[in-house]
Amino acid sequence: MMTTYDHKKYSRNEKLIKLLFLWPSLAVLLFLIAYPFVMLIYYSFFNFSFLRPVNTKFIGLTNYLLILTDTYTWERFIFTFKYVGLSVSIQFTLGILIAWLLQRDFRGKDAVFTVVLMPMMLCPIVVGLLWRYMFNTEWGIINYFLHNILGFARVEWLGMEQNSLWATIIANTWMWTPFMVLLASAAFSSVPKYLYEAASVDRASGWFKFTNITLPLSAPILVLALIFRLMDEMKQFDLIYTLTGGGPGDATQTVSFTLYKTAFQYFYTGEGSAWAFILLIIIIGLSSILIRLLNYLSER
Amino acid sequence: MVGTLDKNAIIKNILLTILVVVLLIYTIFPLYWLFLASLKTRVDLFTIPPKFFFELTFSHFKKIFIYTTLETGEEQQTRYLFWLMNSVLTAGIGTLLAVTLGTMAGYINSRMEYRGKKDFMFFVLSTRMLPPVAIIVPLYIVFAKMHLADTRLGMILLYTMIGLGLATWIMKGFFDNIPKEVEEAAFVNGYTRFQVFIKVLVPMVKGGIAATAGFCFIFAWNEFTFASIIATRYAMTLPPRIVAFMGTSGFEWGVVAASGFILIIPIFILFILIRKYILMGMTFGVLGRK
Repeated sequence: MMTTYDHKKYSRNEKLIKLLFLWPSLAVLLFLIAYPFVMLIYYSFFNFSFLRPVNTKFIGLTNYLLILTDTYTWERFIFTFKYVGLSVSIQFTLGILIAWLLQRDFRGKDAVFTVVLMPMMLCPIVVGLLWRYMFNTEWGIINYFLHNILGFARVEWLGMEQNSLWATIIANTWMWTPFMVLLASAAFSSVPKYLYEAASVDRASGWFKFTNITLPLSAPILVLALIFRLMDEMKQFDLIYTLTGGGPGDATQTVSFTLYKTAFQYFYTGEGSAWAFILLIIIIGLSSILIRLLNYLSER
Repeated sequence: MVGTLDKNAIIKNILLTILVVVLLIYTIFPLYWLFLASLKTRVDLFTIPPKFFFELTFSHFKKIFIYTTLETGEEQQTRYLFWLMNSVLTAGIGTLLAVTLGTMAGYINSRMEYRGKKDFMFFVLSTRMLPPVAIIVPLYIVFAKMHLADTRLGMILLYTMIGLGLATWIMKGFFDNIPKEVEEAAFVNGYTRFQVFIKVLVPMVKGGIAATAGFCFIFAWNEFTFASIIATRYAMTLPPRIVAFMGTSGFEWGVVAASGFILIIPIFILFILIRKYILMGMTFGVLGRK
């Protein structure tokens, strides 16, 4: 009899500890993620502005139609895809090359890695400012280098549409290539050494080893890194906020940035919510792929 | 034959070393340039050619902390220390809460079964996936209604949320690494599950907890989007403050650079401390756990 009693007490304890340990986290998430998420969908059906809550009317899908039929929206999406696509592919390629460069053993490797990885931990606000300072047309150090030393014409980095796209990409690449370096290095070092040795016996070239052993075997982690970057770039806006302020005009406004402006500068809360929902759909799509990969990698 | 091979190897070595040096300069130069900008006089900031050697001035740093009133010329403290305190407190307490809750939830998810476990882990992770701009609209409305807008408490809650997903996933991984036998031995000795958790398991993962805390703190410290909307006056943190420095009376580049520099110094220090864990911190503990 004693044992059944103990068992009951034990399982009650187990239940209690589950409740006590999970509910605080769940409460925070319900309050700060789930509730806003539901409200967001709700607001997106109203012509609601929190400056004038009195005139709120249910307008069905009008907000969505407004956004999706507006050419301005598509310009913002096209810019975002360009920005994200170019940034991520440059980061990806550069990251792999740098990881390959740092693969060998050399003195001070640990220190070099620490320095190289630093930019991604910095405050994006400061990184944006830093590059804005260097990109100045008149006295920025980048134009000084291009114009006064190399003899090119001055580039209006932040004043012209096409240039400002590249300015944002350059700053973004500086900040986030380290992430790719980090993951690519991890991927490369997870490749078993004996494979290289076997290939060396067969007199395979370095390039052959890289494309036929290193890359295929590190593919899962590289893909993981790629999706991480895509997801983060889709929602990024603070770097651009201080670098270009979305300008010139609206040229460098990402979707996230437009959403921020719609909701907090024009105070079209309803329309902003519809924007947010569209952005969320894209990010949820990306993150569901990411989750599968994370689960796959953590169970490997 | 051997000679040419050696020669090639040497050339290759030199080339690779040069590339590493170029990489280091590319990484460090912008930060160095920002640092110089914070020490230049207003005239030296905009000279062509740019000056690498110049007369040092600490006036920008001073200006951040002390301002001179126009009428009387009196020197007064700015509210910068107050904003700094906001940043330290909200990020610090938020981190503490996130890591505590994350360790608890990570433990349950590592050791116990319950319905909807996968959903919970996904839900937790969504804190990292969701763009802040997307949920901030309804969040602002709720916060305003509950008198949490522009309060430190509100910011602490937000920063708890920001760190929670990361902490739960990383800590789950650390608990997964501990063999079940460790707990079973403790159970046999008459420990309750709670005692096992506090007295046996938590001490075993304290390195991981510290590193996780480092990451949560960095992310909260750098956070701008929430802060710029929710913490506009009383609870204002440093990142939106820097943007405000940009806005007033044109660009005071010296002051902007100095305040940017103050903001990244703690990150430098923390980053060096937790650099061994960086892979883990950036991938939710799926990779690079030690």
